Amino acid sequence: MKRRNTILVLFIVIQIITTGCWNRRELNELAITLAMGIDLNEDGKYLVTAQVVNPGEITTKARGHAPVIIFQAKGDSMLEAFRKMTMEAPRKIYPSHLRILVIGESLAKEGIGKPLDLLLRDWELRSDFYIAVAKGKKAEDILKVPTSLERIPANKLFNTLEVSAKAWSATRYVTLDELIEDMVSEGKQPVLTGVHLKVKGEEKTSFSKQIVEKIDPVARLYFKDLAVFKGDKLIGWLNEVQSKTYSIVTNNELSSVGNVSCPKGGKFVYQVTNSETEVKGKVVKGKPAIDINVRVEGKVAEIECGLDLKGKKSIENLEKIYEKETKKMLEEAIKHVQKNKKVDIFGFGQAIYRADPKAWGKLKKDWDKKFEDMEVNVNVHGKINSIGTVGNSFLEELK
Amino acid sequence: MVVFKKLKNKNRLNPFTVEIDDQSLNNSKDSLSESLEENKNFVLKKLGNSSDIVIRDIKIGKENLVRASIFYCDGLVDTASIQNSVLEPLMLDITSYNDQFLASRTEILEVLKDHYLTVGSINDVMDYTTLFNSLLSGNIILLLDGVAHGFMISMCGWNERAVSESTAENVIRGPKEGFTESIRTNTALIRRKIKSQQLWVESKNIGKLTKTDIAIMYIKGIANDKIVQEVHRRLNQIDIDGILESGYIEELIQDKTYTPFPTVYYSERPDVISAELLEGKIAILVDGTPNVLIVPALFVSFLHVAEDYYQRADISSLIRLLRFFSLFIALLAPSLFVAITTFHQEMVPTALLINLAAQREGVPFPAFIEALMMEAAFEILREAGLRMPRAIGSAISIVGTLVIGTAAVEAGIVSAAMVIVVAITAISSFILPSVAMAASLRMLRFPMMGLAASFGLFGIIVGLISLILHLCSLRSFGVPYMTPFGPLIKEEVKDSIFRLPWWGMVSRPKLISKTNKKRSHNSAPTPPENKI
Repeated sequence: MKRRNTILVLFIVIQIITTGCWNRRELNELAITLAMGIDLNEDGKYLVTAQVVNPGEITTKARGHAPVIIFQAKGDSMLEAFRKMTMEAPRKIYPSHLRILVIGESLAKEGIGKPLDLLLRDWELRSDFYIAVAKGKKAEDILKVPTSLERIPANKLFNTLEVSAKAWSATRYVTLDELIEDMVSEGKQPVLTGVHLKVKGEEKTSFSKQIVEKIDPVARLYFKDLAVFKGDKLIGWLNEVQSKTYSIVTNNELSSVGNVSCPKGGKFVYQVTNSETEVKGKVVKGKPAIDINVRVEGKVAEIECGLDLKGKKSIENLEKIYEKETKKMLEEAIKHVQKNKKVDIFGFGQAIYRADPKAWGKLKKDWDKKFEDMEVNVNVHGKINSIGTVGNSFLEELK
Repeated sequence: MVVFKKLKNKNRLNPFTVEIDDQSLNNSKDSLSESLEENKNFVLKKLGNSSDIVIRDIKIGKENLVRASIFYCDGLVDTASIQNSVLEPLMLDITSYNDQFLASRTEILEVLKDHYLTVGSINDVMDYTTLFNSLLSGNIILLLDGVAHGFMISMCGWNERAVSESTAENVIRGPKEGFTESIRTNTALIRRKIKSQQLWVESKNIGKLTKTDIAIMYIKGIANDKIVQEVHRRLNQIDIDGILESGYIEELIQDKTYTPFPTVYYSERPDVISAELLEGKIAILVDGTPNVLIVPALFVSFLHVAEDYYQRADISSLIRLLRFFSLFIALLAPSLFVAITTFHQEMVPTALLINLAAQREGVPFPAFIEALMMEAAFEILREAGLRMPRAIGSAISIVGTLVIGTAAVEAGIVSAAMVIVVAITAISSFILPSVAMAASLRMLRFPMMGLAASFGLFGIIVGLISLILHLCSLRSFGVPYMTPFGPLIKEEVKDSIFRLPWWGMVSRPKLISKTNKKRSHNSAPTPPENKI
């Protein structure tokens, strides 16, 4: 009993004096990195940019400095660049809360696989951050832009991407594990959204420059166009209509808007509330073919032609027009991808594999070539659930 | 059940055994002498001529005057009753009786007891030990010259506090009576709640010098007889100079000393004690204190409040859950905060992390030291608040916490989040109704903080596991401490962290009461079949 007590006391004393808290990091020793950018330098090295939060500026006791700081470093590998940043930064970079990773276009064309290995392997990095490609600019330029509504630019980029993917569906948010999965899988190629930067030139205004800058900032960041990858190399860009098609075919459209022309001229706007797409593959005489069934539910959001909505027939007519136009849009976009980009970004290969694994075994060599000539049938079934809170448009009654 | 093995071969102890080891009383000369003078001198010598002992010499009878003396302790007896019930019959009424009966002295005692002394309780006194015990407990001693035999007449009449509202345990709905310091009043209060003939009271005297009255109350037939025997055995083993409060008894009969958790429950309210008695537990009342002990005690008893049973079932269940939850907050909140902000920053949402990091800018101490300082400051303030006179007490607590906390944040010594965490911890620990349990958690909070600061969440989990192992190994008088969770008894979980309505709680606790009979046969209430 005495011996046991002595050992216990010794344990406690040893614990106190050997300061056994070796992994302890106080909050003010962290450089919380919210956004990161990777570029390829002219000499072949990686240029890593880290956007670090200045916590004192985010709270109410802000003293007017910038809320974020940029640290940059060059290195042959990603981790070397990270550590080199400590030559300038007073704290070690803490990447656990990373929200967005921007990859420069030049690096994307060379191949993004190599820099991504560190991000996947490091235990501190989560995998829920979004990845985007900087179009036409370097990643460091994207990260240096201040934003107004959200004080931290990384948050603004994150939220913009997410909200636009859900509400407009012409962009797509991709996390690291999704990206790696698409790169590695045999029937699908990855796709990333592009980040654009628009800088205003000197314009003459009657208000003072500072006020204008506050209301209408000089530099704006926005997401547009999807980047198409073959393996891990960037090969081309999709325009807006094609991006939307991508979202629809990969069943990622949550809500979107489509302009449809009325039978007698003018147009009406169809707002999608629910959309489900089924991609079914089949192999006919050794040749692959795809059936795409799109089921859309939506409502009439705007009417700009003189249609009478009260009749049952008119709603059905509108549905048919919508279905026809959507089918045309989808078929054109898919053909464009087949002929011009020549990579299977839609995952048709995976659909063939699911439908007929044996045939896929033979078809998977040079799949992209076979993808070019593949037959794709699109079927759209649209439904109009409601027409909003008023009946016919008041425009008809304008005198 | 080691405890019960020892009892197998022992006889049931006589509850009226009194163990006195007083060496000042010479055993050889313990019985009274026949001479009144000798008795009187002996008593006065032993008491050192204490000035509050009153001796009244009287003569009984008209012709054959018998000398007698009445001893009492001024302040302990009701002097008006002495005059009416003892002195008047002895001095006035006897003269009207036939003198010849007063010839034999021994017969006189019989006559006095049966015909003249109009008092409720008379017992015989034959030796000095009983004489001193009864004299100093508020009895009157009547000694006759020529007889080595006297009477002790019970006539307690000291001043005591009236039955008033209990200060330590408040309820909004429910009886507001609290026990007082007199054991007889307390047993009466319990008798008024339980009018059954199965409620038995057994008395003892414990303490060599204080000779405190102890009463053990239980409901025969519901309480486990083995536990009653065990209570007697443990009380008889007590060998101490004085018992001033039930806390002394608690420490001397508890199962294990080296545990931070209390294994004996106490309360100041008769309704709480009666409820526990109805479940088969045993109450120990101690003269001189309003706190009554209840044995055996379980972990969940310390989370229960009498009001849970007086309010409706749904709100009682929710509030019990809240209390259970605040148990964890009181124990773990500073530890979790220190562990997560020092080791596991990836678990914090980004916006919160940025705010916390902003608050820590410029704070010189590590998070653990901050937490220790704030907790120590809070404990100091709390103790100081207890001792301060009522008028400034509440002002200091508000001033202390708010002003000092705010000032410390402004000065940059601690961060604001730490003040909030410490304040929430302190307030949560006040939710716990039992002071003993709250004290245990206060003590345990500091080692937990040490573990959290050294090893992060891993340390907290290790601490919690060792705590749970310790709790599950505790027994209170043979009953496992963590019933109904330890040995999972499904019927009793209904009354632990929530309270089902009365028609759902049908049987008594299995391990505490001998009989598992149903205590109520009501089914759920239904409206009448015919509409009124």
